[in-house]
Amino acid sequence: MKILIAISSKEFSGPTLDVGMNISRSLNASTTIVDVGEKINELSTKDVSLANELMDTWNINRPGMDVLEWAYNYLIQNNFITEDNNQRSFKDFILDESTSNRTEIHLDGAKIRKIYLILRNGDIITELREEVRIYNYDLTIIGGSSKRKLAHDFIQYIESSILIVNNFNLKKQYRILLAVNDSKGTPKAIKYGVRVAQAFNIEITLLTVSKNGKLEDNYKKALNRAKKMLRRCAIKSNSIVESGDPVEKILDVAKDDHIIIMGVSSQSPIAKFFTGSKPLNVIEKSKCPILIVK
Amino acid sequence: MLGFSAKTISNILFWVTRKKWLILSFLLSISFFYIPTPEGLSSPGHRALIIVLVALILIVTESIPLPAVAILILIMQVILGIVTADELASSFMSDAVFFIMGSLMLAVAIVSQGLDKRLALIVINLTGNKTWRIALGFMFISAILSSFIGEHTVGAMMLPVALTLIRNSGLKLNKASNLSTLLLFSIAYGCAIGSIGTPSGGGRNVIMIGYLSEFGMATISYLEWMKYAYPLLLIEIPVASVILWYTFTPSQRIMDSSVRKLKVKVAKNGSLSSDQTLAIIIFLFIFLCWIFLSQYIGLGIIALCGVFLYLSFGLIEWQQINKNTNWAVILLFGAAISLGIQMRETGAALWVAGKTLHYLQILFQDLEIVRWFTSVVITGLLTNLLSNAATVAVLGPIVLDMGGDPVKVGIMTSIASAFSYLTVVASPTCMIIHSTGLITSNDYLKAGWKLFIISVILLFIITKLYWPLIS
Repeated sequence: MKILIAISSKEFSGPTLDVGMNISRSLNASTTIVDVGEKINELSTKDVSLANELMDTWNINRPGMDVLEWAYNYLIQNNFITEDNNQRSFKDFILDESTSNRTEIHLDGAKIRKIYLILRNGDIITELREEVRIYNYDLTIIGGSSKRKLAHDFIQYIESSILIVNNFNLKKQYRILLAVNDSKGTPKAIKYGVRVAQAFNIEITLLTVSKNGKLEDNYKKALNRAKKMLRRCAIKSNSIVESGDPVEKILDVAKDDHIIIMGVSSQSPIAKFFTGSKPLNVIEKSKCPILIVK
Repeated sequence: MLGFSAKTISNILFWVTRKKWLILSFLLSISFFYIPTPEGLSSPGHRALIIVLVALILIVTESIPLPAVAILILIMQVILGIVTADELASSFMSDAVFFIMGSLMLAVAIVSQGLDKRLALIVINLTGNKTWRIALGFMFISAILSSFIGEHTVGAMMLPVALTLIRNSGLKLNKASNLSTLLLFSIAYGCAIGSIGTPSGGGRNVIMIGYLSEFGMATISYLEWMKYAYPLLLIEIPVASVILWYTFTPSQRIMDSSVRKLKVKVAKNGSLSSDQTLAIIIFLFIFLCWIFLSQYIGLGIIALCGVFLYLSFGLIEWQQINKNTNWAVILLFGAAISLGIQMRETGAALWVAGKTLHYLQILFQDLEIVRWFTSVVITGLLTNLLSNAATVAVLGPIVLDMGGDPVKVGIMTSIASAFSYLTVVASPTCMIIHSTGLITSNDYLKAGWKLFIISVILLFIITKLYWPLIS
């Protein structure tokens, strides 16, 4: 299991990092934390990197590096990693710039297993897509954004499952809202639901929405399978059956104290591109974190 | 759908959305290719202009990598039948491209010598601890040094000095303040102002000199250029400083402790090492060669001599030069200059120049003013969209074809291309200070528009009052 956590600034990325690391720890996943900095004009890339190299000799953090340093300290403070006895500071780690556009900080020496810190520069969608494509992450975790276009592009182009940590409050008691229907994505969504429930030790609400008021056989089957799975994993759950517009019903039930989990829409990419999809509409209107399983 | 998997379709969609400008420029070039050639324009000229259009779109939008744009410019020239491959190859390399290559490599060599600490000491000793003097000092040193060494080199070396001062004064380096904005802009604008001073101040000056001699219009020596341009540089330093000070007046009027901390830090490095002395001597030697020999052997060859010396004295390793030299820039300007030459040869430049003069004359009447407006205001604005060197490469042949004294028009255009105050992409130094995260795009506009207008006016006064005296 490989997880990618995208952070952007100290002010807003705390919840993202916290949720991400909790999930990653409970899954014992290999985790990469990435900060995507602003795109640097191609005419000036080398001039900027030359200036950056000089800044290293003056002991000044490169742009973006302070965010990663903050992330590193956050990991230590919250016991996600333990430092080695040498008490090395963040600045002592070696930068690996062998790939253009991607700087990796080698956290060797510290007792850090399977955590990587990297810095990328450029358009956020392109960079995250590239990272996911090359390094095969199973799950990408990002903070919420108010821009529909950005959310649309995330769902459309990032090839891993996506957790959007929207409006997350660490102190609040959440439940999981698992949307169940007869689509192919549902069984995988249930598996993720189980993992997240175990990671945070919380309960699951199964929600099935039928459009015409009665529960069809396929839906019934899917729901029963989900219940069985949860029972087997000893996770407390209840189930709700509603009828109406799925997006509205999901929003109604979720309010602001659920983590919504749903399978990716099975529409064709072109239809999704032009008309959007259920997950996209839910993201746009909800005040909860949402996990879309691909 | 159509036998493609969802993943493939998604990949295609992603490509299309990210490359929409490439697709648009492709469609535009096809449709322009099939419209009849306008009267007065030759058919090869028509095709050359199509390449210019495509290149401009792709450079501004960055929808494909720059080296790809450069290569596209080259192959289109041959495929559209404007030149043969051999003719193209000979116009691709020129002394101007040698100079751009040499000066980018020299920049790496000089920056790697650790002279920035030394430079910091000089600045501080010169300015003392008053904030306004420090800002003025940054501007002054950046301008003077960049007029000889080139702006990107100086920008990279001054940045850590400024950031250290800001950090020492107790401010966080991830939060912008008036002080950080003031000091960083002093560097960026100082470098821009400085780059007009001599031919070696910026690659675009050399591109212009290259065009002038390639078209058989004039040759300009190093000192002659300085005679035209240096006075403006000296006038602009205090003007720009005042504008910056009143736009971003910092609350800290004195930076006593941070200057002291900087001195302590720099003092640790001891005196000049023998390598550093040698590096300075080599640069002085290059500088003298530029002044006295450039008419005979070319600015580019001398820059390459410098690279040769740095390499053979072991002051810099090839790996480091190779890693930090922007080969894309070299390719792009090689291609852009060859396209510029074709614009002239095919008559496209003349046609565009004629049309511009024709339409602008309706607006201004006086031909002299129209010429001046095109080479100064249009160049200045385009610089902020397209970056300074690319602007000169594209506009150079056109403004030189507008008539008037080619030397004056050429230098005027080169100077105006230094008015890169308004955007992040205008010059490498603007990008360097922006990359710290302390300067937003809006900050450029805040101080930039005042400086832009005043610079245009100053240039006008200089060309009208001072230049007639020296020519």
